[in-house]
Amino acid sequence: MTSFLAIDLNKCTGCRNCELACSAKHTNSFNPRRSRIQILKDEVQNLVVPMVCLQCEVPLCQQACPTGAISYNEKGTLVVDKEICIGCENCVTACVYGGIEIDPQTLKAIKCDLCWGDPACVKACDYSAISLVESNPEGHKARKHGVDLAFDTTKIKTGEVAE
Amino acid sequence: MTFPYKGYTGYYLDVDLTKGKVHKKELEKEWARLYLGGSGVAARILWDRTGPDTNPLGPDNVLVVGTGPLTGVMFSPSGRMMFATKSPLTGVWAESHVGGFLGAEIKYAGFDFVVFNGRSKKPVYLSLRDGSADLLDASHLWGKETNMTTEMIREEHKDPTIKTGVIGPAGENGVLYSSIIVDFYRAAGRAGLGTVLGSKNVKGIAASGAQGLDVHDMDAYLKANDKEMEKLHDPLWTESLASLRKYGTTDLVAIINEIGRLPTKNHWTGFFEKADDIGPEIIAEKYRIAQEACHGCAVGCKYVIRVKDGKYPTGPIGGPEYETIMAFGSNCMNSDIESIFHLGKRCDLLGLDTISCGKSISFAMELFEKGIISSKDADGLDLSWGNSETQAILVEKIAKREGFGELLADGVRKAAEKIGGEAWKYAVHVKGLEASGQDPRAHQSIGLTYATNVRGADHLRSISCVEELGYPEIAASRFGEEKAEAILDIMSPQYKGELIWDMEDLYAIVDSAVICKYGTMWPPMFYYDSFLNVIPPLTGMTDWGDMKFVRQAGERISHLRRAYNHRLGITRKDETLPHRLLKEPMPTGPSKGGLPDLDEMLDEYYEYRGCDPETGYPKESKLRELGLDFVAEDLKSRGMTR
Repeated sequence: MTSFLAIDLNKCTGCRNCELACSAKHTNSFNPRRSRIQILKDEVQNLVVPMVCLQCEVPLCQQACPTGAISYNEKGTLVVDKEICIGCENCVTACVYGGIEIDPQTLKAIKCDLCWGDPACVKACDYSAISLVESNPEGHKARKHGVDLAFDTTKIKTGEVAE
Repeated sequence: MTFPYKGYTGYYLDVDLTKGKVHKKELEKEWARLYLGGSGVAARILWDRTGPDTNPLGPDNVLVVGTGPLTGVMFSPSGRMMFATKSPLTGVWAESHVGGFLGAEIKYAGFDFVVFNGRSKKPVYLSLRDGSADLLDASHLWGKETNMTTEMIREEHKDPTIKTGVIGPAGENGVLYSSIIVDFYRAAGRAGLGTVLGSKNVKGIAASGAQGLDVHDMDAYLKANDKEMEKLHDPLWTESLASLRKYGTTDLVAIINEIGRLPTKNHWTGFFEKADDIGPEIIAEKYRIAQEACHGCAVGCKYVIRVKDGKYPTGPIGGPEYETIMAFGSNCMNSDIESIFHLGKRCDLLGLDTISCGKSISFAMELFEKGIISSKDADGLDLSWGNSETQAILVEKIAKREGFGELLADGVRKAAEKIGGEAWKYAVHVKGLEASGQDPRAHQSIGLTYATNVRGADHLRSISCVEELGYPEIAASRFGEEKAEAILDIMSPQYKGELIWDMEDLYAIVDSAVICKYGTMWPPMFYYDSFLNVIPPLTGMTDWGDMKFVRQAGERISHLRRAYNHRLGITRKDETLPHRLLKEPMPTGPSKGGLPDLDEMLDEYYEYRGCDPETGYPKESKLRELGLDFVAEDLKSRGMTR
């Protein structure tokens, strides 16, 4: 069964430890800008918005990719093949959730690959705000809850995420 | 790139403001090995580049912006950074540490340290991005409050991820206790760091970067890090951590009042009858809207508040810490929490240290009560205890150095000198720094901490919570079963010299690493062994795997900072306490009758520190043992070694 990350915004303190863990795992260095999960903050409005790939059922990023670099791995997770990616940023523009971005060093697209089933960010979150859930009605509900909260606070409307 | 150790960027910036030139330099290898980073390296830089002839507000003073190897690399309470300089408030060593995200961002931008010297002809700010640094015009930012300054800098670069450390109008106007505000509501508050930036025409520093930090052995480091993080789940700390997460430092208002140590009425007593009105429960229930955390922190003691109506409504802001509530609350006999939120917020926006500001106001209130000054002296203000309207007016006047605010803008020591007569009796400071929110009459060892702290009457260089909050296991494991009982007795001076000597060296490393006191001070989870565990796999510095070397590094940093002050004239006679805390027995509350046995503790401390008990000067042999030969030569030539 495929799985994805669900984030409980009410538990997130904006400490960004997830970014550190992600970059350590994927780049062997500490570099939040190369993290597959990104925490956006607006201190004035007290906004903390975690952004990570939702593993959409209808992935706009995949549709937008001109070279076919985005595909499912054997675990059913959407991943980018960095050999095929040309860094055109079409996927970044297409994703409405900010779930895919360009690595500032390789200039190729990067996105969450769920660490092949054992996400470093989930372990690194001391506030238990991030969980790995399975693609079933309960998982969908948890994912939607997180996205709704994030979109409510940023005042963006969407009906894309399946519940 | 020849810098051999990881966890560092390997570069620092030497910023010559007079010439408007920024020099990118390689970090000295031995600075890292011998002084680690942060406070240690800053001490080395300030020792080399400032001294008795340096005018704190002149172009010859130097201000160091510092990070450490643990900044930005996931070790939990490491969302910290520091600033150091020769203080304009005290005339001696000053360092101030602050949380948030700027420290890590400076490293991701490619630098471990920034050293400001000289004076810019026009207002500037330093912008760091991906290995490059520019001095940019700040004329349009001058006069702006700290939050607006940060918003304007982000707008200018079209980058909301920029992190900043900026001064407000107070720093520009030369208020001697001006702060540097980091990420909107975190303050490097104490001893006038912001004043020095203002004197140099520097509005602040802004950083954003995508340069990663490499690790010597990532797998080993992550394992070591996990081992340290497991300590967070030890049942021993459950209560303390739960309290920090739920209330932040506001819980200390209740905890400290209970033991009669909460500075009240300008430090007259240690017990505030209305503490509940400004305590943790009311804040958590009525005003707190979110928990916040500094970079990578698992403790998360920061919190956000909102005040919907009343006289001082406000949108989301960082809630006040214990010290702010104490300084404007109990210490001024003000029990109106919403006014305290307002005063804290105004201090952050104006760039004022809430402790020195609150204490300067309580000092004025006491002089008014005693008839030493009148309303006429104070621009017609009613300086009665607890008058929050007067407090609010004074904060604005102090920041502008306007009218009566001019007198208070120089801190209590200078104000007392100007007023003359008996005023000095009510100026509660050590070495010119207004006392923070502790009281040695209810907690013996804090007396020794205040007296010996290189930056003055402040707890953060060596406070021990082992006896204050009661950790018998820790007292026994660190000092032995036979000493544990006396150490845990908060009013016994016995072994407190050893205790504070030990804490001072530990914090010297904590402040150089750079990590937070929450986790090392309260609760005391991390000790010397934590550094032994994480520093070698992170940096590749094998010496840091040796306990003797690590403890010596702590001693080295402590001695270097002390030597810095000796050279400026500090001796045992300055390592003392203000009249009120040394001679007036605690008049009311749970610690009634308490007085510190300072001399007894000092004697023991000097013995452990390797200093002469008469003068406080170091033994030459001790300095040489620590590899501080250059300090030994210098002090010896001045007759300051024994």
